[in-house]
Amino acid sequence: MNQTNTPSSATAAQFSALQSLADKQLSWTSRLGHVALLLGALTMTGIVSALWLTEPHLPVRTQVAFAVIAMIGLSWTVFAVWVLRYRQVLLADQNVVAGRMAVAFTSLLLLGALSLAFMQPGPKAYAVVAVGAGLLASAVALLWQSHRAFNRLLQRRQALERELAEIGK
Amino acid sequence: MTEHGPRQPSDLEDELLVVRCQLGERSAFDALIRRWHAPLRQYIRRMTGDDAATDDAVQEVWLRVLRGIARLREGTKLRAWLFGIARNVLMDRLRHKYAWPMAADVDLDEIAADDAPKHLEEELAVMLMALTRLPLAENEVLTLFYLQELSLGEVAQVLGIPVGTVKSRLFRARQLLRQEVARKGMTA
Repeated sequence: MNQTNTPSSATAAQFSALQSLADKQLSWTSRLGHVALLLGALTMTGIVSALWLTEPHLPVRTQVAFAVIAMIGLSWTVFAVWVLRYRQVLLADQNVVAGRMAVAFTSLLLLGALSLAFMQPGPKAYAVVAVGAGLLASAVALLWQSHRAFNRLLQRRQALERELAEIGK
Repeated sequence: MTEHGPRQPSDLEDELLVVRCQLGERSAFDALIRRWHAPLRQYIRRMTGDDAATDDAVQEVWLRVLRGIARLREGTKLRAWLFGIARNVLMDRLRHKYAWPMAADVDLDEIAADDAPKHLEEELAVMLMALTRLPLAENEVLTLFYLQELSLGEVAQVLGIPVGTVKSRLFRARQLLRQEVARKGMTA
């Protein structure tokens, strides 16, 4: 901080810097971007793994390629989870949106698995459908949980506002 | 939440701020910064004794607050949580100073017999200069308790030590402060 600043201008500059920091840290674009990255990477890994498992008689080179793609997808998944866990922890409203995104992504994944099972029925295809259904169920549970957490906070907020209003009377 | 009697409006306001932040209200973060920036900065400034280091540490504290507030389970403990973060940042940066031996040459029996002056809060204003010369641990406990007006429980939470240890550290810090004032020929 500039030593020649008057206290008020220094304080204003500090607030402005902290507000910029908050804008950057709380950015919806960045946070939901990482949610999209997580879901996209998970979906990609799921689809590639499903193809790898269900497609019979694949050449070795194709199997290696599928394995590499699945590993890349998994790495992006781990990275996105790390960011969302330690760097950009989602707030209640963002959790609700993230839950909706998860439901949309996993629905797509399940639809893909169902199409695959329809075209090539068999135990492996059904296993992939089961995994897709499990992921969708988890996403729905996540969405329900985030709605509950959001509503709980809203109720607490209203209770606190009432309490403060009563004190102010 | 209310087992310790009626809560102060400032505690309710703090909890409301936390809830609003957790809901994702952008304006609540600005309000949080406006409310707590100055006390946190003052505490950090006392510990570092340096403006540039203070600004750097304050920035780090707010970064950790922004990243961590979604996980704060008890909004009622906002004050202790904020100062706890500030202390962790200071510990990372001033590890060598915190590693200084605590003032061990003070006779604790003598301290126990010491009746703390009733007007120490007022005297502290005069003693601020002497305070900066105390070892960091003593400076810190006096700053948190008298200047930031944290309760004994909150100080214990911030420092991660039992309340009894906070009390004995406060005794020792007051004693040291008095010795420092006497040594420099200041009047308390």
